[in-house]
Amino acid sequence: MVVEGQWVREAPPASRVLAAYMVLKNTADTPRSITRVDSPDFRECQIHRTVIADGIAKMLPVEKLQLPVDGSIVLEPGGLHLMLIEPQRSLRDGDTVVLVIHADNGESITIDVPVVRKTDTAGHAHHHH
Amino acid sequence: MSISPNASTSRLVLKGVIIAVLATAAGIWSARMVLQRPVVEDELAATRFPVARTVQPFELIDHNHEVFDNAALQQRWSFVFFGYTYCPDVCPTTLSVLNSIAQRLQDVDEDIRFVMVTVDPQRDTPERLAEFVTYFNGDFLGVTGTDEALEQLTSQLGILYDRVESEPGSENYLVDHTAAVFLFDPDGRYHAVFTPPLSAENIASDFRKMLQATQ
Repeated sequence: MVVEGQWVREAPPASRVLAAYMVLKNTADTPRSITRVDSPDFRECQIHRTVIADGIAKMLPVEKLQLPVDGSIVLEPGGLHLMLIEPQRSLRDGDTVVLVIHADNGESITIDVPVVRKTDTAGHAHHHH
Repeated sequence: MSISPNASTSRLVLKGVIIAVLATAAGIWSARMVLQRPVVEDELAATRFPVARTVQPFELIDHNHEVFDNAALQQRWSFVFFGYTYCPDVCPTTLSVLNSIAQRLQDVDEDIRFVMVTVDPQRDTPERLAEFVTYFNGDFLGVTGTDEALEQLTSQLGILYDRVESEPGSENYLVDHTAAVFLFDPDGRYHAVFTPPLSAENIASDFRKMLQATQ
């Protein structure tokens, strides 16, 4: 399993829920499912998908993310995302959080994810250090 | 001398036809006075109403604790979004899009305001709203109110919202809500709606076209 392009959107002060986005790739020769994510930096992490149906936006919990052989899944604004609940500290652009992504076969991958401020839609997210 | 039945009937019919034609003409004439000047609708991604809709009285408060009512929608264009601050994905993304729209329209010589009305008045206090919306753009305005007051506005715009609790009594509930952005004109009337997917470029460009059509 490989993770690319991961970022956490910096949230306004005192936000209790943040979102993480990334591309997950399955480089193994068997399918994988992501069933759980946890982090020392948040009380709880969940997988959600934003769905806009009949004009109404909902965030629906996802039990597992299926990754076929050689397949990848994109988590991006307006779609799949990791919902990161109750940050253990204030997180600002330039900070890094740790996420542990667990697959159904017991495998897990630990990743560093930068916190990025993105308050407009121009270009790609910038990293300010 | 009496007029034969056929002649009087046809005279009545003729009068009726003349009245009908005049009434229709008057109707068309007055409708044209009210209807906005045509924009080629195919060119708009927005849904613009042929006749801008009057907003019935409502009263909410903004994040400065000032009254936000019909008067607040007058004398400026208002882009209004309905969301909540505990939303990690849709609402921050939409506010980023609104911020991009604001930046794109900086050259426009009109008073334009961007407003987020909360669908979660229980958690979204004026202070919380101020912190949240101004993070995206210092000029953005947050609005809240009682459930009843909110209903007064949302029901007339067809806006729906619904609390979703993963565990009963949880503080971390989500709120499903209408994701469109609503545009009000300087007369305080409901002018158009932008439905998702929301593109800053398309919305800004549509707005310029709609603005031209009103001038």
